[in-house]
Amino acid sequence: MDALSLAVNTGFQALVLGMIYAALALGYNMVYRASKAINLAEPELVVFAAYIAFIAFSWYGLPVPVSFLASLAAGFLIGVVLERLLARPLRGRPVVALMAATLGAYYVLRGVSMVASRGFEMGSLGIPEVYQAVGPLRVSLSDVVAAGLSSATILAVIMLHRFTRLGVAMRAVSEDPFGATAYGLPVRRLTMLSWGIAGAVSAAAALALAVKAQVGPTLDFYALKALAASLLAGLDSIAGVVVGGLALGFIEQFGSLLLDPYMPGLGSQLAFIAMLIVLLVKPYGIFGTERIERV
Amino acid sequence: MPAGVFKEKYEELMGLLRYPIHWAALAAGTALLLALPLLIGPYYTSLAVTLAVFTVGAIGLNMLTGLAGQISLAQGALMGVGAYATVFIAAALHTNIIAAILPAAILTALVSTLLGLPSFRLKGYYLAMASIAAQMILEYIFSVIDPDQYTPVPVDMKTLGPISLAQTTTQYYIILGCAAIAALAAANIGRSAIGRAMKAVRDNDVAAEIIGIDVARVKALAFALAGFFAGLAGGLYALTVTGIDWTAFTLDTSIEYLAMVLVGGPGRIVWGSLLGAMLIRTGWSMLEASLSDTLTMMGLGILASASKYIVLGALVAAFLVLEPEGLIGILRRVKEYLRLWPYSY
Repeated sequence: MDALSLAVNTGFQALVLGMIYAALALGYNMVYRASKAINLAEPELVVFAAYIAFIAFSWYGLPVPVSFLASLAAGFLIGVVLERLLARPLRGRPVVALMAATLGAYYVLRGVSMVASRGFEMGSLGIPEVYQAVGPLRVSLSDVVAAGLSSATILAVIMLHRFTRLGVAMRAVSEDPFGATAYGLPVRRLTMLSWGIAGAVSAAAALALAVKAQVGPTLDFYALKALAASLLAGLDSIAGVVVGGLALGFIEQFGSLLLDPYMPGLGSQLAFIAMLIVLLVKPYGIFGTERIERV
Repeated sequence: MPAGVFKEKYEELMGLLRYPIHWAALAAGTALLLALPLLIGPYYTSLAVTLAVFTVGAIGLNMLTGLAGQISLAQGALMGVGAYATVFIAAALHTNIIAAILPAAILTALVSTLLGLPSFRLKGYYLAMASIAAQMILEYIFSVIDPDQYTPVPVDMKTLGPISLAQTTTQYYIILGCAAIAALAAANIGRSAIGRAMKAVRDNDVAAEIIGIDVARVKALAFALAGFFAGLAGGLYALTVTGIDWTAFTLDTSIEYLAMVLVGGPGRIVWGSLLGAMLIRTGWSMLEASLSDTLTMMGLGILASASKYIVLGALVAAFLVLEPEGLIGILRRVKEYLRLWPYSY
């Protein structure tokens, strides 16, 4: 491969991966907007959702769209359950408590997916391996599906927040829960819905990941790395995740290209280094609102 | 003549040993701990050694989580830093491991401060985020410096003067001594000005700032202390094993540490950590040893390994929601009930 086609192909991979990271980051941000905490259960939620699709597809022989829908439904349900069991009783307690509780859920979900997948059987979803050359670029069907799925998910959430009454209500709740209560908005139900949508978004990202990579227990690593995209975008921004995710995708892909010959595996750690740098330089992210504290 | 025990001085009120029963418990406890290896045999002694090691690490995290109100997911990796640093320092200076533990722990404290540096000025969960990044970066560094997942700890390093520390029993006494000193130090930090400053930051950082506490400095100090104790635990861990495997210091270890603190009793630095480590580490390995064979024979091997995650995770979540004071809170209620029995109050 010559330099041009290498650059073009790496750029395309960065784009695809960046959109997946953006969708994963959106899962964190939706929860953050609703409960002001980071949902550390998301990495295993991603693994679980990917396995739901895998089990439905290859063990029960359901068609691909149906198994994808099952996975989305499972993600939504887990989000709702997490809200009901953890976020609601822990309201008013320090956010750190909710984060630690979601960490407990992370462990539970891992155990459950381990049992459900008969000890983390590896596999792939039924997307055929088809390649198409566009100039120097080599595009595979799975790349297109993964990028399309995650972009569509992000677009749907942005549209929901911008153009529907429900989205306005959710924005109001995230901005000022007490004010929203005073205006008669069903704050509890909307918070629950936010968690549910966050779960479904994570599931969609999990499907994109499963199409792009493989269904396996290591998918949680991608979701952990997506925390960097979330921080970069700002934890309470919605559309900003696209910038954060793409930035992370490009940093990781081109970083791996440049650094891996010297230090194998360093490229995949760049996300965490980026996270520390963002915390140092711009902790509220590019699009996040800076918190101004009043005493 | 006063009816009962009355304290007249502040020192008496704040003492660790206030009542005759405390002295009696200390005497009985010391005697029991010293005689323990003779009573319970080598297998349980090695479990007790592991328990002591992990209690030290949990004490460190408990200061950070219970006193300063921050959660860290890097305790496992920091323990790894301590373990590797101990072995490398001992090998470089041709000393025994015991001499290398203290410098290694100080080094670990420095590393943890450096990695937490971005987040000390920020609120709430930002330290947790930084610690996740720190954990992953450290894991990567371990995998680079120890690609075989085995860094041997030579037996000739496990000496203290003429005494060999290769035996579990001698290890037990050394580690028990170190753990006791660490616990005493932690208890004293908890009730000193630093500990009170940490509690103030935990309860309301804005108010703490107003009464003149440097919040960033206190958070940094808490994180450094957690790192120091993690390093100490790592050094002691290096003493107990024949080779260091970095897969013992992954994110899972960090989560387990957090589980020990949250289940045991956040804020009750010594006893909470001890109870948590007892339940999560020792209790679990005893249960696993007795159950996993049976489950594997029944063809449920997956369940045996998955149940660990499910039970641990559910325990953490349940304690946070239902009993934030942890096991120690339950024990205190039981004690109160027995004290007042047969009356209800």
